[in-house]
Amino acid sequence: MRLTWTVAYGYVAPGMNRSDVPSGRSRLDLLDPLEVSKLGGLELVTEGVVEGFLSGLHRSPRRGFSVEFAEHRMYQPGDELRYVDWKILGRNDRLYVKQFEEETNLRAVIVFDTSRSMAWTGSPATVLPKLAYAQRLIAALALVLIRQRDATGLITFDDDVRSVTPPRARLSHWHQLLGTLARLEAGQGTAAEPALRRVVGQLRRRGLVVFVSDLLLDRVLALKALRFLRHRGHQVLVLHIMDPAEVSLGGPNEARFEDPESRSAVVLRPRDWAGAYRDTVRNVVSEWRLACRRHGIAYHRVTTDTPYGIVLREALTSPSRSA
Amino acid sequence: MIGFLHPWMLAGLVAAAIPILLHLLARREPPTVVFPAVRYLVTTTQEHQRRLKLRNWLLLLLRTMLVATLVMAAAGPTVPLTGVPGHSPSALVLIIDNSPSSGTVTGGSPQLAQLVAAGREVLARSTPEDALWLIAADGVPRRGDRVALTALLRDLTVSPRRLELGTAITLAGEVLESEPRPGEIVLLTDLQASALSPADPVAPLLVGRPDKAPPPNTGIGRLETGTQPWSSDGGRISVVLVGDSGASVPLAARLGERPARQALARVGGTVALSLPGVPAGWWTLTAGLDPDEFRLDDQRVAAVRVAPVARVSWDSTSRFVAAACDVLAANGRIVRGNEVTVGRLGPRASVVQPPEDPAELGALNRALAARGAGWSYGNLSTEVTFSDSGAVVGRQRVTRRYSLQSTSSGRTGLLASVNGTPWIVRGGNVILLGSRLDPAWTDLPISAGFMPFVDVLLNRLARGEAALEQGAPGDPVPLPDMVTDVRRGDREWRVEGGGLFQPPEVGVYYLRSGRDTIGAISVNPDPRESRLARASDTQARQLWKGARMVALQDAADASFSSASRGDLRSPLLWLALIAGLAEIGLASGWRRRP
Repeated sequence: MRLTWTVAYGYVAPGMNRSDVPSGRSRLDLLDPLEVSKLGGLELVTEGVVEGFLSGLHRSPRRGFSVEFAEHRMYQPGDELRYVDWKILGRNDRLYVKQFEEETNLRAVIVFDTSRSMAWTGSPATVLPKLAYAQRLIAALALVLIRQRDATGLITFDDDVRSVTPPRARLSHWHQLLGTLARLEAGQGTAAEPALRRVVGQLRRRGLVVFVSDLLLDRVLALKALRFLRHRGHQVLVLHIMDPAEVSLGGPNEARFEDPESRSAVVLRPRDWAGAYRDTVRNVVSEWRLACRRHGIAYHRVTTDTPYGIVLREALTSPSRSA
Repeated sequence: MIGFLHPWMLAGLVAAAIPILLHLLARREPPTVVFPAVRYLVTTTQEHQRRLKLRNWLLLLLRTMLVATLVMAAAGPTVPLTGVPGHSPSALVLIIDNSPSSGTVTGGSPQLAQLVAAGREVLARSTPEDALWLIAADGVPRRGDRVALTALLRDLTVSPRRLELGTAITLAGEVLESEPRPGEIVLLTDLQASALSPADPVAPLLVGRPDKAPPPNTGIGRLETGTQPWSSDGGRISVVLVGDSGASVPLAARLGERPARQALARVGGTVALSLPGVPAGWWTLTAGLDPDEFRLDDQRVAAVRVAPVARVSWDSTSRFVAAACDVLAANGRIVRGNEVTVGRLGPRASVVQPPEDPAELGALNRALAARGAGWSYGNLSTEVTFSDSGAVVGRQRVTRRYSLQSTSSGRTGLLASVNGTPWIVRGGNVILLGSRLDPAWTDLPISAGFMPFVDVLLNRLARGEAALEQGAPGDPVPLPDMVTDVRRGDREWRVEGGGLFQPPEVGVYYLRSGRDTIGAISVNPDPRESRLARASDTQARQLWKGARMVALQDAADASFSSASRGDLRSPLLWLALIAGLAEIGLASGWRRRP
C-alpha cells in the first residue's frame, strides 16, 4: 500500500482523503512507526495508537467487524444500508444504523516470532527493526482485542517456544502482555511449528490465531501447522513482517550477504540482482498468499514502515477475521 | 603479415588487462552485510547463476575486447589484401636500376625507357598519403610526391655508375626503417646477374624485370697500357674483351686523333697492339669496338704518358738500388745520365735515402734545407710497422725508418706513408725515402714490386709526376697531395690535394698541380656491366628472401599489393562500438531483468 506523508506527520492511505487525518491532534495510528516509537514507552504509544485507530473506526463507514448489537446512532452518509434499522425508519421516519459489539468470549492467541532475523533492520536511522515494530503492533492489537473483551494470549518463539502467556480478557492482562513484550530479546533460529502446536493447548474452542513473523522459516512445516489450526476451526491471521530493505535489494557494489541465523552467505552484486530478487520476493509473497487463501487463512504482508493503524485496519477487517 | 602505422601505441595493450584486473581485484574481500533474507538471494541466484556467470564472462570479454580494439585501432593496423583495389597509406621505395647495362637497346628502345615506364606506372598507383622515395644508380634516396618523382624519372638517364642491387635494397630498407607506414620496395631492373648481391629485405620486395632475354654483347673489359711513360718510339697495349657473344669483332685503338690500329678480337681473348711513337706529352688512348646493343662498353679509354726514359746517376753504395737500376738500364727503361740522382742529393732531381751513419744526418738536413726541399729527416724508429697500402709501394714491412718532418705548411708531397706518417715524400725536385732501400730497413727491396717501384720512382715520381689511377664513374679516387685541380676536356674541378675525387662519367681526367700535369685518372665502366646475362628468378629469391618476381609490365599491378594493405582502423572502431553497445545493453538489460 502506497502512503503519502503529510505535514501533520500522518500517512494518507489510498482511498482516504486528507480530511480524514485529524488536523488538530495527530493520530498515532497513522504516523510513521519510527516517529511513534520516539514518543514514549510501549504502553503509552500503544494506547495512543489504539485510541487513534478506534476513533478512526468510529468515523469509518466500514465499522462492523462485531457481531453483537450494541446501540443505535444517527445515519451518516457512507454508512452501509444493511445496518440501517428499517423498523425505526418506519416508526419515526428517521434513519438510524445499528452498531454491534464483538462477542466477549472470543479467545485470541498471538504467536510471535522472536528469532534473530526479526531483530534486523536495513536502515536503523529510518526504519524500526522488525522485532520492535512487531512488539508495538502486537501490543496495539492485544489492546484492541482486550477492549473488545476478547481474551488474548501470547506465545513467543525462536528455535523453540520461549514464553507462553495464556489468554485473558482483563485489561490488567494487557499490562502483563506488555511486560512480556518489553522483556523480549531476539533469539536464534526459527521453528514455528512447535509454537503453533502449543496454541492448541491455549485455545480449547474456536478462537483467533495471529501469527506474526518474517516467515523466514520452513514454509511447509509452518503451513502445515497453520492448516492444522485452521482445521481445528480457528481463525488464522498471518502478519508477514518485512523490512523495506528485504523487499528491494540494495547495498554496496558487491557484498557478502550473511544470514544472521544460519550464517549461510551469498556473494553478489546487488545492482545486478535487484530485479531478480524483487521477483523472487514477489513470488514468495504470492506463494504465501495463495497457500493461505487456499486454506482460509488471512495473510497480510506488512512492511515495517507502514503505520500501525493501516495494519490494524487490514488485520481486523480481513475476510477471515470477519467471517 | 599484420603491420602497424604507430606500433608504439601497442604498448597500450596492457590496458586490456584492466578489466581483468578489476574483475579479479573486485572479487576479493567484499564487505559482509547481515541480511536475513539470504534464502531469497539463494533462490534468486540459483535460478540465474548460469546465466549470470555467462553474462559476467561476456561482459569481461566485451570490456577487454573494447579496450584492446581501441588500442589496436590507435596503433593503425594494416593487413595485406590481395585483389582489393586501393591501399592503405604506405611507404614505397622505388629503385630504378639505371646502371650502364640499362642502356642496352632491346625491342627498339633502351632498357631504361622500359624501366622508367614501369616506374611511372607504379608511381601512378600511389596516393597522396603514401610516402615515396626514388633510388637510382647514384645511390641517393630522393623523397617526393608522385609528381616530383615522376619528373625525376622523366629526366633519368643511363648512369655510368654501377648499381649493386643488394646494396640498393639494403639502403631502401634503411629508408623504410624510420617510416611507421607499412613499407614496400619495388625494384625495377634488368636483373643483370653480375649486379646481384645478397640483401635481407626488411619490407616486402617486388622485383620487376624484363621477360625477354638480353641481347648478346661484347665489350672492352680491360685496356692495359703497360709500363709508363712510353718512349717516343711508341708502346704496346693489351685489350681484353668481355661479354657473352662468341663472335669475333673488329677492335680499333688510337692515341689522340692519330690513325687507329685495328685487330680482330674475341670475348675472353687478349689482343696486343703496338702503337706508333708520338711526341712527348699526355695522350688519351681510346680502344673501341663496332657499336652493338650495349654501347657504353664499346669504348674504353686510358691515359698515356709519353716521355724519354730518365737519365739516372746511380752508384754501388746501395746494393739493391744499383741492381735495380742496372736491370732497368739493360731493358731500356733508364739510361745513365744526370737528370735524376739516386741515393744521395744531386744537383738536379734526386732520390735521397737516409744515411747509414746517423752522424751524416745533420749535414744532409742542412743540404736539404739549402735546396728548399721543405722536408728533413727526424728521429730514427725501429718499430716494426707496415706501409699504408697505396699506388706507389703497396703494403710493405718496415723495420727501421726515419721520421720525415715537413719544414713547410701542410703535407704537400706525400707519396707513401707508414701508420699515417710520411715515409716517402717529395719536396721540390727531391724525393726523400724514410727508410733505406735495404732489407735491414724494409722488405720493399726484396718484394716483387721493387722493380716497378724503382721504374715509377725514376721515370715518373722523380720527374714530377704523381699518379696514374683508374676508376669507375662515381667511385671515389684518392688524389695525390700536390693536386690542385682536375681537368677533363673543357671542364675543370678545383680539388684539395690528398682528398677524394668522384669522376662523374667515363673519360680521362688529368691531375694538375698549378700549371703542371702530374697524373691522370682513367675512368671506364665497370667491366662487369658488359655481362648482360640475366639472373634467374630462383637466384634472386635465394639472395632476397620473400622477393616477388614479376614482369616489368606487371609491376604496377603488383605494387602496393604487399603494401596494398587493408586499413583495419575502421573495422576495429566499428568492432569497438559494437562491443561498447553490447556491453551497455548487456549490463543495463541485466539490471532491469536478469
